[in-house]
Amino acid sequence: MNSYITKRLVSAVITLLLIATLTFVMMHSIPGGPFTRERPVPDEILRTLNEKYHLDDPLPKQYFDYMKGLITFDLGPSYSKIGTTVNELIAGGFPDSARVGGLASILIIVMGIPLGIISALKQNKTIDYFVMFMATLGVTVPSFVIATVIIYIFAGQLGWLPSFGLSSPLGYIGPVLALAGYSISFVTRLTRSSMLEVLRQDYIRTARANGIPEFWVIAKHAVKNALIPVVTYLGPMVAAILTGSFVVERIFAIGGMGRYFVESVSNRDYTTIMGMTVFYAAFYIIMVLLVDLAYGLIDPRIRLGKEE
Amino acid sequence: MSDSRFEFVGEISEDLESVRPSLTYWADAWRRLKKNKLSMMGIAIIIFTILFGVVGPFLTPYSYSDQINDFRNTPPRLELYAAGDTYLYLTNDYILLEVSENGNIQRRLERIEKDIFNKIYVYEMDGEAVTVDFSYNTLPTKQGYDYDFTIEYMGQVENQPAFTKWNKSFPFGSDGLGRDLLTRVMYGARISLFVAFVATLVNLFIGVIYGSIAGFEGGRVDNIMMRIVDIINSIPLVLYVILLMVWFRNNGLWNIIIALSSVYWVSMARLVRGQMLALKEQEFVLAAITLGVPKRKIIFRHLIPNAMGPIIVAMAMMIPSAVFTEAFLSFIGLGVSAPMASWGVLANNALSGLTTYPYQLFFPALAIAFTMLAFNFLGDGLRDALDPRLRKG
Amino acid sequence: MSRLLEVNNLKTSFYTHLGEVQAVRGVTFSMDKGDILGIVGESGSGKSVTALSIMKLIDHPGRIKEGEILFEGEDLTARTEKKMSELRGSEISMIFQDPMTSLNPVYTIKNQMVEVIRRHNKVSKKEAANRAMEMLSLVGIPEPERRIKSFPHEFSGGMRQRAMIATALSCSPKLLIADEPTTALDVTIQAQILDLMKKLTKEIDTSIILITHDLGVIAEICNKMVVMYGGMMMEKGTTDQIFHKPSHPYTVGLLKSVPRMDCAKERLIPIPGSPPDLLAPPKGCPFSTRCPHAMQICLEEAPPVFQVEENHTSACWLLHEDAPGMEGYHKGCDIVG
Repeated sequence: MNSYITKRLVSAVITLLLIATLTFVMMHSIPGGPFTRERPVPDEILRTLNEKYHLDDPLPKQYFDYMKGLITFDLGPSYSKIGTTVNELIAGGFPDSARVGGLASILIIVMGIPLGIISALKQNKTIDYFVMFMATLGVTVPSFVIATVIIYIFAGQLGWLPSFGLSSPLGYIGPVLALAGYSISFVTRLTRSSMLEVLRQDYIRTARANGIPEFWVIAKHAVKNALIPVVTYLGPMVAAILTGSFVVERIFAIGGMGRYFVESVSNRDYTTIMGMTVFYAAFYIIMVLLVDLAYGLIDPRIRLGKEE
Repeated sequence: MSDSRFEFVGEISEDLESVRPSLTYWADAWRRLKKNKLSMMGIAIIIFTILFGVVGPFLTPYSYSDQINDFRNTPPRLELYAAGDTYLYLTNDYILLEVSENGNIQRRLERIEKDIFNKIYVYEMDGEAVTVDFSYNTLPTKQGYDYDFTIEYMGQVENQPAFTKWNKSFPFGSDGLGRDLLTRVMYGARISLFVAFVATLVNLFIGVIYGSIAGFEGGRVDNIMMRIVDIINSIPLVLYVILLMVWFRNNGLWNIIIALSSVYWVSMARLVRGQMLALKEQEFVLAAITLGVPKRKIIFRHLIPNAMGPIIVAMAMMIPSAVFTEAFLSFIGLGVSAPMASWGVLANNALSGLTTYPYQLFFPALAIAFTMLAFNFLGDGLRDALDPRLRKG
Repeated sequence: MSRLLEVNNLKTSFYTHLGEVQAVRGVTFSMDKGDILGIVGESGSGKSVTALSIMKLIDHPGRIKEGEILFEGEDLTARTEKKMSELRGSEISMIFQDPMTSLNPVYTIKNQMVEVIRRHNKVSKKEAANRAMEMLSLVGIPEPERRIKSFPHEFSGGMRQRAMIATALSCSPKLLIADEPTTALDVTIQAQILDLMKKLTKEIDTSIILITHDLGVIAEICNKMVVMYGGMMMEKGTTDQIFHKPSHPYTVGLLKSVPRMDCAKERLIPIPGSPPDLLAPPKGCPFSTRCPHAMQICLEEAPPVFQVEENHTSACWLLHEDAPGMEGYHKGCDIVG
């Protein structure tokens, strides 16, 4: 078990370094420089800027400097927000993003799984049709549409919710719903189909034949097995929430990381793009690692420490 | 009891037994798919959307980039006020339009006077003045009215619309630059679907080849190839699509396609590899190897056709996620560049004026949702039809 | 001797979207304490559904349509689901065909066995665990203290079936229903499991219903048997009676299709054709389309049950007094049902 974690951590670090390198190469292979604007910047200023940000150093040196910074968790200065470092941007944006994302994750789990189970147990009944209808709607409507509809109806027409910012607790409702919408639906559908599959299994029949009361047949024997594929989805779910946050934070005007990231993309703020990509990737890799470990806890057939 | 009934009947003819006609895999799958109403609906919607995108733009009088600035921001439903023997429509940016009785927008009326303090604008129609007083409920002295403005033409004052008509000139309304939204949504269908189809095909191609080589070769080759896939898989792919889009610097149609195609083949490769690993153990492959059939031929003639079921299902699911990702990229400003428009771009453009012109978001969003729904239904049906585990009865 | 189980005119159907699938169409048999009853038939003959009906474990969309199941004189069809679940595992236990899939993969053997023992007995966890280990060693699993902590995937197929039997017998049930318990196992393991069942049921005083398609298995351990085909009972009697004096062409066909050690020269003769479609069962005898001696009446009318000997009945028109004479058949039997 421990050797497995070590092995996974080592491979996570290697992956991360590869990602950082790839990102570095991509950003530095863009023709022109980060200060190439539509309106040409005077040569003098360009030279000063390049000097200030060490852009006149040979590439390998820049690369090693960047990597050195990365190891010491220093992601360098922002090119567009003069005087701010990428670290500060992340530190400023991460708490809001994490709160919204965390709430969304909780909502996904506490809503998606029970709804899926109920739907499976009531297969082909009205409640099943209703839940599946909502869930299908949820996976087909992009998060930006959900977000804008929430703003239009609940913030605009009804005035129940603030249309932007997180200053009041009510302000969380919109972003969290928009962020969680897709994944709740996905988890509901996944739980339902996995539950239906499990209910057909022989061991469920065995449990019944051994006189286990129906409640425990479901709660103990079926649910744990049905959750195995759901846990597998939690990894990609992190990714869905990350990308969702790019959109949702922009629409709800939340000063989270997602918004900074999108801004840095449109400003071509290369250090910020690089830094945030690496940060997101690290976050993602750690979350997926945690999910994999949880997976091992649920499913004893996954022998930890022995791959394939 | 008559004794004749106790005579042997001898050989019973075959037709007494229930014999089901034997069907090929694909015929059987198609038979099952046809029975799935939702999937057939999905196919119908997909065909309709393709026609909508391909043929549709030829049927509208505008092109996707035609701007009629005078007619900007007109909604699909027009509240018409009577003025003499014609009708008027006032847009949310105080443009007064003359509209025919059946909902055709005729022309914009020139504004000749602007009294901001009293909130009265005067327009001119055929030499006569049209006075719009929109001070109601805004000036402190004029509170509590159930209407917000009046239109006066030749002494006749209207405060309620005569009737509401569908906008004949712009059935889906027009956008902030006076472009026909119907035409733009049609072009959007073209672009969104084109991006999705091409990206999916490229992903399919790369994924199938990569996966079948890894799966068929096995051993070290497989190990190395799958390690690469693992690494790519541990990267949040949307970030990489974004990076690629930043790297390309200009948001061309082909750049999106390349970006989408270059990262999403991973799941396909995994799927195909799994199929290959299972299939290559089977006797017919062994037989082919024993007969000296070249590797390439075994992969393409024997293995891939047998793995086609799951591949097609995965493909049907890949198209909507490509539509989704494209919409998402466009939405954060990395989509196709203006004046071209995909559904995501249209949704993005509509965002700023959402509270005033919600219809501008409604139609592209509806188009995305419908397409997603259709592909999801089709994918679900295909899975049921092609899944060999369920293949019975 | 008291009747342990009596099944009278059991009819079970599945109501699918294609129509009513009549899986069991009137099955009647009884067994006494200590009996080992074999139910034999090919797949789709309704033997498993009969067993599941006794346990009342027929899943939606299936349901027992008619008939009664008397267990120690009490009609189980009238029992509520709650009462029924108290009975399952304690009075009547069941083991299934595929031991690979019949144990829950995410719980240890201990967890699953303790759960069942504590469901039916008021004992502490520790006592239950001790009982479980005792059962495991009884079924021949070495080092039960260690193996009990294993997950099912750490066991081989034979070991899993042993664990299944241990669980099923842990509450000393009066009746054990074994649905093809050895089909999924290797031949050598099959014999071991059968021996084990025979030995244990003697020790714990449990009667068995053994469902199988393998006549060899029946010959080995059963004292009574029922032959089913197309959801109907073809022939029933003691094992000796049926093996020595098969009185139904289907039974005869079954016996001919089994290899025998003692007459090596004889050819194996498969029964041509395939079983009837239970969605639209033939109105006559279900076997008539494959029967080498089918008569006109066989196609038109379901045969009544004829008494061949004491406790030996057969549903075949050939036994009717008007039927043409047949070598080895006993014309003119009494109609008993």
